[in-house]
Amino acid sequence: MKNILVILIFLPLFSSSQEDLLNEIDSDSTINQYTIATFKGLKIVNFESTKLVAKKELTFVVSHRFGSIENGIDTFFGLDDAVTRLNFIYGLTDWLNISASRSSYQKIYEAAIKYRLFRQQENGFPVTIVGYHSILVNTALEEVNLPKLEFKNRLGYTTQLIVARKVNKNLSIEIIPTFFHDNLVVIDEQDNSQFALGFGGRYKLSTRWSLNADYGWHLNRASNSPFKNPLSIGVDLETGGHVFQMHFTNSQPMNTNGFLGQSTGDWSDGNIYFGFNLSRTF
Amino acid sequence: MKKIFYIFLLLLSYFIQGQSKYITKTGLISFEASVPSFEEVTARNNAVTAIINTQNGEFASLALVNGFRFKNALMEEHFNENYAESSEFPKTTFKGKIIEFSLKSNEYKIEGDLTFHGKTKSLKNIPIKLEIIDNEIIMSGNFEVKTSDFEVKIPKIVANKVSELVKVNFLFKLIKK
Repeated sequence: MKNILVILIFLPLFSSSQEDLLNEIDSDSTINQYTIATFKGLKIVNFESTKLVAKKELTFVVSHRFGSIENGIDTFFGLDDAVTRLNFIYGLTDWLNISASRSSYQKIYEAAIKYRLFRQQENGFPVTIVGYHSILVNTALEEVNLPKLEFKNRLGYTTQLIVARKVNKNLSIEIIPTFFHDNLVVIDEQDNSQFALGFGGRYKLSTRWSLNADYGWHLNRASNSPFKNPLSIGVDLETGGHVFQMHFTNSQPMNTNGFLGQSTGDWSDGNIYFGFNLSRTF
Repeated sequence: MKKIFYIFLLLLSYFIQGQSKYITKTGLISFEASVPSFEEVTARNNAVTAIINTQNGEFASLALVNGFRFKNALMEEHFNENYAESSEFPKTTFKGKIIEFSLKSNEYKIEGDLTFHGKTKSLKNIPIKLEIIDNEIIMSGNFEVKTSDFEVKIPKIVANKVSELVKVNFLFKLIKK
């Protein structure tokens, strides 16, 4: 009995000299970290990624899609017919962004909100889920050509749910169920309300390079529609302050309604466009 | 009576042990790897855990790597994804001993092992300042490390914008446990 007591009394002294101070503070061995860097750009190529602009930061994205490369040197591989989109995105919070853009393709103005609902965790929730809604105004339509044109005919809407998962250190994948509506469609047979499923991915080649691709599967395209599903392949180059994305795509328009509903290019006959997205954060 | 005495002694011994440790969970570590005239590369973490045993001068600290806040979110993401690889190596720790610790002087030197990015580097003769006020010990100091000590690679493209020599500052207000 006595011996036990003596041991008990001296135990703390022994233990304090032997016990590791670090172990004492390193109590939480399982940390539930949020997965980071699923995508580095705000877009994969054409489709929105799950990345958002951080709180109180303003990002300016300049996107170009040159003309079709099939005309070769005549249009300097499309350089002559470039389409430009300027997009400002502001982070109201880390999970809510607002943006405004102008594209020279059909002189489209677009306003959008993007918000994060769930975040992937290292040892928890498996995916990141982001919502995206936008409204577009096509200001290129002329009343001279369309006498009955009303303002509402210029409008289009997009609603997307963006679901992404970083599978491992190098591979991230995304699926994007999309609903979009154009108040005016080019082909009479085409429903104004259209559905599509987007697929996208990023594969890291090195710490600064990644391979990106996305594809949009239109689910109710009119049978006589001349438009094609958009497929885009490109690379991301990270240079500290910004991400530079270069790609080939069969879609010249850059707004969601445009690249899903009105892509005219075709990979099979080389009718594709070179383009880039350049972002800068302020 | 004897029993009570032993129990008393027992409690006392635990009590004494508890008395000799000072701890904080809101310690501050900041580092800077800026190059003059380029964008500031600096980050701070104000949720660092640190503990000191005043019986023998042993000291340990632990910080979550993704707890370092940078000036801009993109830089922070680059740091976590490509430099510190924080999903693989979530913690950075220091474990060491204050040399000739006595609670009498205000200036000491500390030595020990700093672990970051899965690599450990032993640091020697890092000067620290200690202020002891009642139940509080304020410990502060700074040191420099090289990114190569921890096998952190700086890509060529940013090599002229990020310094290989990293200045680290720390400040811990440790409270009696």
